Amino acid sequence: MKIKDQFRFIRQNIKKNRVRTSMTILATAMGCAFLIVLASVGYGLQETVVKDTLEEQVVTKIDVYGHESEGNYRPLSMEDVEYLESVEGVKAVTRRNQLRQIPTYSIDEYDAEAMAYSTHFPSEVESGLELSGGRLPENINEVVVGYHFVKHLVKDMDNADIYDEESGEIKSEYLYQDDLIGKTMDMKVRKDVEGEEIYETMSLTIVGVLEKPTREWMQDSNVYISQEIYAKVEEFTGTPGGELGIDPENINEVDTSNTFDDVKVYATNLEAVQGVSDELEEKNYAIYSVVSEMKQINMLFTIAKAGLILVGTIAIIIASIGIYNTMTMAVTERAPDIGIMKAIGANPKTIKQIFLLESSYIGIIGAIVGTIVAYLISLLVNLGLPIIIEMAFQDELPEGLQFSAIPLTLVLIAVGICLFVTILSGMRPAKRATQIDVLKAMRREI
Amino acid sequence: MIKVKQLSHHFELGKKENKTTLPVLKDISLQVEAGEIVSIVGKSGSGKSTLLNLISGFIKPTEGDIWIKDQKVTDFSEAKFADFRLNQMGFIFQSFQLIPSMTAYQNIELPLILKGESEIDRKQKTIAMLEKVGLEEFKDHYPSELSGGQQQRVSIGRALVLEPPLILADEPTGSLDSETEADLLTFIQKLNKELGVTFLIITHDEEVAHIGHRSITISDGQLIEGSDSL
Repeated sequence: MKIKDQFRFIRQNIKKNRVRTSMTILATAMGCAFLIVLASVGYGLQETVVKDTLEEQVVTKIDVYGHESEGNYRPLSMEDVEYLESVEGVKAVTRRNQLRQIPTYSIDEYDAEAMAYSTHFPSEVESGLELSGGRLPENINEVVVGYHFVKHLVKDMDNADIYDEESGEIKSEYLYQDDLIGKTMDMKVRKDVEGEEIYETMSLTIVGVLEKPTREWMQDSNVYISQEIYAKVEEFTGTPGGELGIDPENINEVDTSNTFDDVKVYATNLEAVQGVSDELEEKNYAIYSVVSEMKQINMLFTIAKAGLILVGTIAIIIASIGIYNTMTMAVTERAPDIGIMKAIGANPKTIKQIFLLESSYIGIIGAIVGTIVAYLISLLVNLGLPIIIEMAFQDELPEGLQFSAIPLTLVLIAVGICLFVTILSGMRPAKRATQIDVLKAMRREI
Repeated sequence: MIKVKQLSHHFELGKKENKTTLPVLKDISLQVEAGEIVSIVGKSGSGKSTLLNLISGFIKPTEGDIWIKDQKVTDFSEAKFADFRLNQMGFIFQSFQLIPSMTAYQNIELPLILKGESEIDRKQKTIAMLEKVGLEEFKDHYPSELSGGQQQRVSIGRALVLEPPLILADEPTGSLDSETEADLLTFIQKLNKELGVTFLIITHDEEVAHIGHRSITISDGQLIEGSDSL
């Protein structure tokens, strides 16, 4: 018997018991939709967390904190940087030193306080550093500033009246309004000598402004100075990185030009990150990369999703009881027909196949309907739930938060489970159909 | 065509503790040649229907063997016997055994579907058979919309559509009036003559028994000596 004819038989049989079959399909669809919606919460939250993590950090970046030897960590030196640059799959190695005091910057009557970093600009450019305007420094007195630096340049800094009472932000008339590029500013650093504060002013020219950070909430108001200016500050204070509060007399080595506070390795692409991470770990470097964090996040969510799918499967199992019932009734009702078919030569295998196909048919239609319903629910949840939560708790939810996501894999898993369970529940009635006694069935004794 | 050798059968009655056996057939041996019409006659309860059910493979004999077309069918599995029935046997039952939810056309087409024939072949053969049994006008009628004689013709059409060499008929005229009965018997004889189909007919009706080349009498599960009227 051809499959096409078997389907024709099934359609005829379903037509005869339209209401009963529709109810069974509905139960299956509900089970399937429940499974998908439940698991979609896991998928949705994972997507949000992963997206957040990825947006916060550059995925190809590996932070290198130091090198471990005999249980001690030492800061990274130029030799380390050279080695890191030689590792296969590494695109750039940036190295920065943070000034260990917060200098004051002045342009005309505007002042600002901001962190200062010395950095190696060629490697920064290679790693993807971009300017929103201007150019990179070419001589020792030239600097670039972060995108938000200008917002810290304030007139009458000590005046309490500069803040807006409602928003708490600095009033615009007190903020620096001009273009920064090409402006000369004074950087004032301090040292303490026997309780007395001594200041040194260095004249710097702003030649470039960095690109705005990708995340809305991130602020970059740093000043990026040359290594020579950094060394001048150290020379002035007599302490490493211009640090305050320590006595220069007690320090053996002031020069920090050979060591770096902040070293970052950039891999050529996402695939190379793992290989580079493995090699650096093998060489005893203390590292952190978002890829390894992603691994842990994904593992956690995989466990959570598996749990949710398991709970959802229970709904499908409950629906399968309906299928079992429907199929058992179908076999009982059709027993005389089955008997006749067997008498004229229908193979038991064919009869079993017809009933299994019928339960699979219910499963497939239920899964399709369930999937469509689940997509609709997911859409409604993503649109409606933030509004409800905001209304109920007066709390604004983080931007881009996704409660429910239904990837193709989830649909395939749900449809697979649904089909497996429905076929399984159709097995026994199908087997019963093959065991029908021809003579009893023809005498209408079943 | 059919060879039955020392066939015995009994039914088991009651449950485990009080199980009793009811012998139905005792040491039956008979032979039916290809192209014959053989009637098996006997009173109710004589075992003639049981003999037909054993030959059809609906039940397995307690003892003895059956050969059909030189194949020992008593050794067949259920699935193999089903295929054998589909290809080698046709059935006519007293109560027609048509599927009520199928039209005359669909009932006749059923064996062709089970055999997996193409739609074009099926259509051609079903229409030809409907013409042969004189029911082309009633092809879209359901069994409940047909008379007894018409239903039996549908049943014969279904039995013959795959052109099996052997037709087993259990009281084929049992539900028919005398006029329709006469028509049906003539039709059986015509099929036998024209197509060479072998018929094994179970009946208690003397008139039906007489259309055969020979008749065999069964009484109390045993063949009556000398009943073979070949």
